[in-house]
Amino acid sequence: MSSHATGLIARRSLRSRIGRTIAIAIAIAASVAFVVGTFVLADSLKSSFDSLFSDINENIDLEVRSSLEFGDTNEGISREPIPLQIADDVAGIEGVRAAVPTVARYAQVIDLQGEAVSSNGPSLGVTDTEDEELSTITVREGNRPTGGREVALDGVTAEKADVGVGDDVKITTDVGTFDFTVTALVGLGDSEGFGGASISVFALDTALDVLGTEGRIDAVDISLVEGTDPAGVQAAVEDILPEGTEVITGTELSEEQAADVNEFIDIFAQGLLVFAFVTAFVSAFIINNVFAITIGQRLRELALLRAIGAAGKQVRRMVIVEALVMSIVATIAGIGLGILIAKGLSALFNAAGAGFPSAGTILLPRTIVMAFVVGVGITLMSVIVPARRAAKIPPVAAMRPELGFDSINSRRLVAGTITVLIGAVAFLIGLFVRPGGTIGLAALAGGGALLIFVGVGSLSSTVARPVTRTLGWPVSKLFGTSGRLARDNAARSPRRTSSSAAALMIGVALVSAASIFASSLRDSFGRVLENSVQADYIVTTDSFQGMPPSIADAMKDVPELAAVSPIRGTQMQIEGETRTIGAADPEALDQLISIDVAEGSSLTELGADGVFVHEDPAKDLDLQVGDNVDATFPNGAERTLGVSGIFSDATLVGNWLISIETLDDVSGAPPRDFFVVGKVADGVSPAEADDAIAAALEEFPQANIETNAQFRATQEDQINQLLIIISGLLVFAIAIAVLGISITLALAVFERTREIGLLRAVGMTKRQTRRAVRWEAVIVSLFGAIIGIVVGSLIGVALTLAVPDSVIDGLSFSFPTMTFILVGAVIAGLIAALYPSYKASNMNVLAAIATE
Amino acid sequence: MTSTPTTISTTPGDRLAAAGAIDATKVYGIGDAQVRALDGVTVAFEPGRFTAIMGPSGSGKSTLLHCLAGLDELTSGAVYIGDTYLAKLNDKHLTELRRTQVGFVFQAYNLIPTLTAGENISLPLMLGGSKGEPDWIDQVIDTVGLRDRLSHRPSELSGGQQQRVAVARALASRPTIIFADEPTGNLDSVSSSEILEFMQLAVRQHGQTIVMVTHDPNSASYADRVVFLGDGRIVDEMTEPTADTVLEHVKSMGA
Repeated sequence: MSSHATGLIARRSLRSRIGRTIAIAIAIAASVAFVVGTFVLADSLKSSFDSLFSDINENIDLEVRSSLEFGDTNEGISREPIPLQIADDVAGIEGVRAAVPTVARYAQVIDLQGEAVSSNGPSLGVTDTEDEELSTITVREGNRPTGGREVALDGVTAEKADVGVGDDVKITTDVGTFDFTVTALVGLGDSEGFGGASISVFALDTALDVLGTEGRIDAVDISLVEGTDPAGVQAAVEDILPEGTEVITGTELSEEQAADVNEFIDIFAQGLLVFAFVTAFVSAFIINNVFAITIGQRLRELALLRAIGAAGKQVRRMVIVEALVMSIVATIAGIGLGILIAKGLSALFNAAGAGFPSAGTILLPRTIVMAFVVGVGITLMSVIVPARRAAKIPPVAAMRPELGFDSINSRRLVAGTITVLIGAVAFLIGLFVRPGGTIGLAALAGGGALLIFVGVGSLSSTVARPVTRTLGWPVSKLFGTSGRLARDNAARSPRRTSSSAAALMIGVALVSAASIFASSLRDSFGRVLENSVQADYIVTTDSFQGMPPSIADAMKDVPELAAVSPIRGTQMQIEGETRTIGAADPEALDQLISIDVAEGSSLTELGADGVFVHEDPAKDLDLQVGDNVDATFPNGAERTLGVSGIFSDATLVGNWLISIETLDDVSGAPPRDFFVVGKVADGVSPAEADDAIAAALEEFPQANIETNAQFRATQEDQINQLLIIISGLLVFAIAIAVLGISITLALAVFERTREIGLLRAVGMTKRQTRRAVRWEAVIVSLFGAIIGIVVGSLIGVALTLAVPDSVIDGLSFSFPTMTFILVGAVIAGLIAALYPSYKASNMNVLAAIATE
Repeated sequence: MTSTPTTISTTPGDRLAAAGAIDATKVYGIGDAQVRALDGVTVAFEPGRFTAIMGPSGSGKSTLLHCLAGLDELTSGAVYIGDTYLAKLNDKHLTELRRTQVGFVFQAYNLIPTLTAGENISLPLMLGGSKGEPDWIDQVIDTVGLRDRLSHRPSELSGGQQQRVAVARALASRPTIIFADEPTGNLDSVSSSEILEFMQLAVRQHGQTIVMVTHDPNSASYADRVVFLGDGRIVDEMTEPTADTVLEHVKSMGA
């Protein structure tokens, strides 16, 4: 009935408090943009890969390939090659227009400096066909390779390798390194690259010769005579196929390839979303605080409304409508911003050579719904309490403002404690009891952590005064009157100080928790590696596909090395579950890596059809030494493996270990090595060994040769990098927290207009005024950072303890990180103070004093 | 000039009264810190008259006004507006009563800073979802002389103009009674007399009932009747006051 008045006041209030409106809108829009950006990026990438794959396979009606019993190529399982003869057999079937044999295998391009050309996807050598319909590449420059040592490279790889048509280039495959002449530069459709993959294109004869398939092929692409029924031909092809091969339609092929990529994109997007929601949560704190403060400042206005006849309900509705309007506008802005972020990220990845196919921006209805859920949702949640407070302001406060919040009792201590306790219990149950698997873990631990933050945020007001006074002590000693003012002002409204510090607290707590977890993991891992790796050299690779076995073979030929073994990977199904299996040379491995055999024979006894099992799966499956397990390999081969040992250290070899002999016996799929370990023979100096290995692996620049110490450092570095990435993703949340401190302080300066005017009138300089505001901000930031470190450390310790001892066996604190956080908090405070201190120092003194 | 103490005109329920208090008592605090701001006040305000409540600081005059207007609650006793006892009302009905039957003019901070003068005037009507009587509102605006200031924000108006907007707002809904709490306390003498003349005019020409708290004898002289408060009790009253008689009386009270 009276929505007119409510709406009018809400609108006017938004417009006249434009600074505050914009600041809140930024917090909302940033959260929304992060969420929208993630979704849009993922959806756009998916859509572009979907269309990419359906373009590539557009003219493939059917494809023949070897079948997989379980799993897919995305999980690191490769298909075995099939005989070339199948292509001819299939070509003879009625209705088949063309049947093109294809090979796609590992092929790493080496640049002129002898370095492996990096890529953001697999490095593949593929075949091409003269059949225009079935050819998947677009020649940009030069002529297709026709045979011999001719190759065509994709544009992105050629540019990285700095080669053009007519230049020579080396390419490493599973069976060696070969010299080629570049005859063409190719692309995929309109794109220069192949979605991040590095592609070398060969004629079929060349591919059969160099790609290690021993004259066999990977697939036959079939194009049908126009008007033929694919189902009929598919059945006819099936009839002539040998065991272990299958025929699928082009559509199925596209869907399968897209699904592989989509799965990866989804994991990536889920990771980003976690951080997007952290950002939204921090924003909610800020929005809540700003509304609470402005309602305090509007106390007389709201009381006046009550006095002249506004119902409590109307006042509440007014505050909510104000928030609602603001959040809707900010959400729309956030959607726009999110699309820009997605485009920017996509461009960034492409600049780094990802070669994403160009695609339209996909904004699904789901994304828009999520944007409003986040934007409007966090705002409404944040405003409920302030709006209720506003509705309870007694009308008499219009004349006697000191009565304003008299009727509103503060039960923060009790409510805060209860919230923290419930949160902590949920968090610990989630971590240690783990009901409901991963979802239960995420819901209980995540939800528990949120409750802890909310509870600590409200509890921290009880310690705000003593803590800020202590923190402010050095400031007040150093900066005289300004410092004292800063200290007093920070301690003046504990509730407000704690609320604005709480937002920063969350970001800092998450960084601290991640830091403790990561440093504990790093140090435990370091200790484990130190104990278990007896090898002097560890050869690794950056490639997604692992290393060709030729590297391990080359190392075995080095006389300076006494023992060499690759750790080769495959998968098996045991008891209905797909498990990753390591394969190694048992005799050599025994000297190189200590797997800590607990029961059974020595590792050297691991022969054909034997398996060593880590104690965890052994316990789960109730396996003892001497038991047999039935295992199915990806190609469908079945073996009964005898458990010959149970071991305790799975750090490098994984949970299941078989001999290479067994693997070779079963699988014809091209082997891939995760890494190769080697031990120096007696009497060989480290320098001699270095030189010998470097010489042996000269042909394989993709192999990183590391000594034991270097390897450990690299592994630890990777964990450090993970921490840096996590911190980087939290920057958004921290930036919003800093914005929050800035708004709170600006509002406080506005509130203290008269007081600041008075100080200026009695002789405080502009500089002193600025300084007082600046150090107040620093004190508040430090307060938030310290509580964040305390809470975060506790969370980090709990997380670390929840991980089994076999992975993390001790706690480590990273003092440099904590120091860095504190220094960062000071800087954050200084940044937050920029605008409020400017406002405070540039007030018109006379006008400030005249303010009521 | 009559000086009859306490109960003068009406008994509760007397239809002649626009508002009134019966044995109104208000106690703040507990134990030793107890303050009896109102100590058994019984008073009635006849319709169509302009009454001033005077008294020294701490005499309870503002408390009486707040309780009469339903902004504050009595410890014991009763207040009524028209034929409604306020104690019986819940917050919803009290709010409605303030919106429809009561007008307010405060000493300061009378206006919503974000709304224009015109919007402030019609705010109580808008809150009730009605348009009021456009002719009457027009007349009020002309009477207070704000026609050319309607689209201005309070911050763009002088103190006197702001108080005129406040008076216009109080008049706009034709309330049963208008309560004014030191309405000229922040104004210079010219603006003060302007405001007081408007209030007088509203009473004389339109039959509006106004109760005004003031400590200024000159302001009180615009009223038809002055009620004197001291220590939470009505100590005296006077009709047809002039500035001089009020001043004299105040002096004689030794305040």
